[in-house]
Amino acid sequence: MPEEKIVCQNLGHVYPRGKIVALENVNLTICSQEIIGVIGQNGSGKTTLVKHFNGLLKPTSGKVIVEGNDTAKKKVQELAAHVGYVFQNPNHQLFAKTVEHELEFGPTNLGLSREEVEERREKAIEFFGLQDLRLSHPYRISFPLRKLVSMAAVYTMRPAVFILDEPTTGQDNITTRTVYRLIERLREEGSTVICVAHDMILLAEVVDRMIVMRNSHLIADASPREVFSDTELMHSTHITPPQITSIGLRWPGFGEKKVLLSVDEAVTAINSSNPPANS
Amino acid sequence: MQGVAIPITMVAGDSYIHRLNPLPKLFIALGVLILSFATRNPLVLGVVFALGLVFVTAAGIWKSYLRVVGILFPISLTLVVMQSIAPAFPRPWTPITDFGPFTIYQEGIYSGVSMLLRIFSMTTFALVMIMTTHPSDLFTSLQKIGMPYVLNFILTMTLQLIPILQNEFAIVLSAQKSRGMKGSGFGAVLPSMVPVFVGAIERVQQLSISLESRAFGSTGIKTSFRNVTMSLKDYVIMVLGVLATLATTVWVIADKSLDWSRTLIFPPTLSIIIVALAAIGFVAFFILAISYVLRA
Amino acid sequence: MEDKKPIIELKDVTFTYASTETPALKGVNLTIYEGEYVALMGLNGAGKTTLQLTFNGVIPNMMMGDFEGTVIVSGMDTDEYPVREMAKVIGLVFDNPEFQLSQMTVAEEIALGLENIGTPPAEMHRIIAESLEIVGLSGFEDRSPFGLSGGQQQRLSIASALAMKPRIVVMDEPTSNVDPIGKEEIFAVAAQLNRERGMTVIMAEHEVEVMAAYADRIIVLHKGEIVLNGTPHEVFTQVDTLKSIGLRVPQATELAYQLDQKRLASYAGKYPVTTEEAVQDLTDKFGKGG
Ligand SMILES: Nc1ncnc2c1ncn2[C@@H]1O[C@H](COP(=O)(O)OP(=O)(O)OP(=O)(O)O)[C@@H](O)[C@H]1O
Ligand SMILES: Nc1ncnc2c1ncn2[C@@H]1O[C@H](COP(=O)(O)OP(=O)(O)O)[C@@H](O)[C@H]1O
Ligand SMILES: [Mg+2]
Ligand SMILES: [Mg+2]
Repeated sequence: MPEEKIVCQNLGHVYPRGKIVALENVNLTICSQEIIGVIGQNGSGKTTLVKHFNGLLKPTSGKVIVEGNDTAKKKVQELAAHVGYVFQNPNHQLFAKTVEHELEFGPTNLGLSREEVEERREKAIEFFGLQDLRLSHPYRISFPLRKLVSMAAVYTMRPAVFILDEPTTGQDNITTRTVYRLIERLREEGSTVICVAHDMILLAEVVDRMIVMRNSHLIADASPREVFSDTELMHSTHITPPQITSIGLRWPGFGEKKVLLSVDEAVTAINSSNPPANS
Repeated sequence: MQGVAIPITMVAGDSYIHRLNPLPKLFIALGVLILSFATRNPLVLGVVFALGLVFVTAAGIWKSYLRVVGILFPISLTLVVMQSIAPAFPRPWTPITDFGPFTIYQEGIYSGVSMLLRIFSMTTFALVMIMTTHPSDLFTSLQKIGMPYVLNFILTMTLQLIPILQNEFAIVLSAQKSRGMKGSGFGAVLPSMVPVFVGAIERVQQLSISLESRAFGSTGIKTSFRNVTMSLKDYVIMVLGVLATLATTVWVIADKSLDWSRTLIFPPTLSIIIVALAAIGFVAFFILAISYVLRA
Repeated sequence: MEDKKPIIELKDVTFTYASTETPALKGVNLTIYEGEYVALMGLNGAGKTTLQLTFNGVIPNMMMGDFEGTVIVSGMDTDEYPVREMAKVIGLVFDNPEFQLSQMTVAEEIALGLENIGTPPAEMHRIIAESLEIVGLSGFEDRSPFGLSGGQQQRLSIASALAMKPRIVVMDEPTSNVDPIGKEEIFAVAAQLNRERGMTVIMAEHEVEVMAAYADRIIVLHKGEIVLNGTPHEVFTQVDTLKSIGLRVPQATELAYQLDQKRLASYAGKYPVTTEEAVQDLTDKFGKGG
C-alpha cells in the first residue's frame, strides 16, 4: 500500500532577489513508487518546486513534508539520504577532481564501507557507460556527458525519492535510452521518481502521472493521456504533445484509441483495424 | 547568493557618487592607494580613513560596506598581533612588555596599528569606487582614454570574477549538501574552495570565448548602452582629487616629523589590551565564520 | 541552388583537441550557401560543437589543438582573423546557457554585442525590446541573467545573438531547455529571419521532429565525419543508416517505416517526415478510418 513520501501544503516561494514569485499555493501529495512527470512552460516554477523536495529551497509560505518531516526544520544534508536531486544544470552539481571521486562522494557520506562505495561506483560507471571518463575532470567533459555523470552521482546514493530535472537535455538518442533505462530500473527498485522535462516523448512513455505548472501555480494533475488530449491545457502551458500523439489526434482513422503515446501503439491500432495492404 | 555572499560588486543606487564618472573615482582611489603606502603616520591615515567613511555615507552603501569590513577587519587584526611581536621595521626595536612567551615592541604596535589604518583607508576608497561604479561604465571610460584593450579586459574580468567566485562558492556548497556532505569545521569547507577556483577558471575561459564571439574588443566604432559622459564637474573633481592626494603624498614623504614610531608611546597595559583584543577578535571571527558557513 | 553564393567553405578540415588523440573532425569538406537553413545532427561526441566552433574561428584561434585545412567564412580565412572580427558577420549561441551570460541585467546582456558593433544608443533600446519580444522575454529587461530559469537563460542567449543581426547565425542545441512551443517559436523565428533577411542559419539539434519541419538541409555527423547530407526527406528516408549509427528519425517517419516493415502499407522508400505529411499519408493509404 502506498505511503506518503512528499506532501506540499499551500506551498509558496518568493525569491528574495528581485522579489520574484515562483510558486503560489501549491498542494500536492506524492506517494511511494509513483513515477511522476512535471511539465510547464519556461519559468513556470518546476525547478523551484522540486528544489523544495530535498530542502535546497525552503518554503516562504506553506509547508513541505518529506517522509513525515517538515523540511523547514531539516538540513539539506539530512534529507540527502532520502531524496536525490539531479540538477537541471550539471555545472551546479559537479565539483570533484575526477568522475570516480564524484561518484564516491555521496555513498561515502552515507557512511558505507569502502567496498560498498566502490561496488556502487562500478555499477554506476557500467550502467551509464562512463568507462572512458573515470579519471576525467568533470568540468572538462562535454555538457551532455556531465549530465550523465550527475545522474550517476545521485544514483550511487540509491535515494528513495529520485528527482531528475530535465534529464534528457542535450542527450542523443542513445543516452536518452540510458535515461529511460534508469527510470525503468528505479521503478523496479521501488523508488519514487519525479522527472521535470520538456521531452514529451520521454514522459509519454515512462510516467504514470503528470503535474502541470503554469505561472507559479499547479494547474493540472492527471495521466499523460488525459493531459495530452486536453488541447486547451496544452496550449496555455506552452506544451505540445509528442508528434505521434498529434498525428493520432488529427487523423480520424484511430477512432476511440486516438490518444497515442508511442509509435508502437499507433502501429498496433492500425494493425488491428486494417488488414495488411495488398501490394 | 545566500549566507556566505560578500557583495564586492556594484550596489545599485542613485547617489551623487554613483552618478560621478568612473574616472575621477578611479584616480582618487589610486591616489589614496599611493598616499597610504607613503606614510605610516596614524593620524594622517586615520584622517584619510575618516574621509573615506564620509564617502561611504554619501554613497549610501554602509550595509554592503560593513559586510566586507566584517570579513576584512578580523583578518587584518592578525597583522596587529604579528607586527607587535615581530615588527616589519628596521632594528633596534624597543621592548614594551612581555606577553606570555612573546615580547611586544613599541615599533611593532606602531607598525601594526598603522598597517591596519593603511588597509582601511585604501580599501574604503576602493570599495566606494567599486560599489558605486557599473563595471561596463568603467570599461567604456577606460577605453575612451586609450587604455590598451588587453589591460582593460583583464581589469573588467577581475571585477566580474568576484561575483562569479561568490556565486560559484554558493553553488558548490549546495551541491555538496545535496549529496549529504558530512563533517563540520574548516576541514569540510576547505575542499570546496578547490572546485570553486577550478569552476571559476573554466567559467572565465568560456566567458572570454563567448564575449569575443560577440565582437568584444573588436576594431571600429563603439557605442555604449549606458550613458557615460565626462562633464566639466567630473574633470574638476578628478583634477582636484588627484592634486590633493599627490600634494599630501609629497608632504608626508618630505616632513620627517611625521614619523611617530618612537614618539607615540604605547603604555604596557594598553599594548597588552590591544594585542589581546586583536587576537581574541580574530579567533572569535574565525569560529563564527565557520559555524555560519556550516549552518543551514 | 545554382546562383547561390557559398558563405562557409571548409576544405579538408581536421581538428584534434590538445588533450585527446583521436581527431574530433576528420577531413571535413563542406560548403554552406548564403541563405540556407541547415541542421546538424549526430550522437554526442560526433563533432557538432567542434564543427560549429570552426565557423567563427574559436577553433583554431582560441582552443588548443592540432588544426589542419582551411575555413573560409564570408570571404575571410578564419585562421587570419580574430574571433572578435569574425563576430561581425557570424553570431554563435553556445550549448551552455549560463557560461555566456555576464552582465548585470538582461537588457545590458543584449546591449553588450550591440555596443561592440557600434549600434547607436537610440536604436539599441528598440532592438533590445524587439529581440526580447522574439524570444518571449518582454518585461525581463531589468532582471539579473543569473536569476533566470534554465529555459529563460537559453532564450536570452539566443536574443543576444540575434540582436546583432549577423549574416550567419550558428546555434548549438539552443533550445534544449526551452518548452515545446517555445522551441517551435524559436525555429520559426529563425526561419522567418532566414526568409526575410536572407540570414544563414545553422543549428545543431537532437529533436528530429522540429528539424524535419524547418531545415532546408540536414547534415549528419558521425565520429567526426559527414555521413549524410541532404534535404530532410533525403536524410530521414535513410532510416536504416540512421538507426545503425544510433540516431532516431521523426515519429512521423518511424510510424511509416514500421508500417512498411510490417507490410501494412508500402512506401517504396519515400516516408513522410512531418505531422502534416503523416496525417495526409494515413488518409491516402487508409482513408478516414472506420
Ligand atoms: N535564483 C533566482 N532568483 C530569482 N528568481 C529566480 C531564480 N531562479 C528562478 N527564478 C524565477 O522564478 C521563476 C520560476 O523559475 P524555475 O527555475 O522554477 O522555472 P522552471 O519551470 O524550472 O523553468 P525552465 O523550464 O526554464 O527550467 C521564473 O520566473 C524565474 O525567472
Ligand atoms: N574541450 C575539449 N577537449 C577535449 N576534447 C573535446 C573537447 N570538446 C570536445 N571534445 C571531443 O571531441 C569530440 C567531438 O565532440 P563535440 O564536438 O563536443 O561533439 P557533439 O557536439 O557532436 O556532441 C568528442 O570525442 C569529444 O570528446
Ligand atoms: Mg527548470
Ligand atoms: Mg555539442
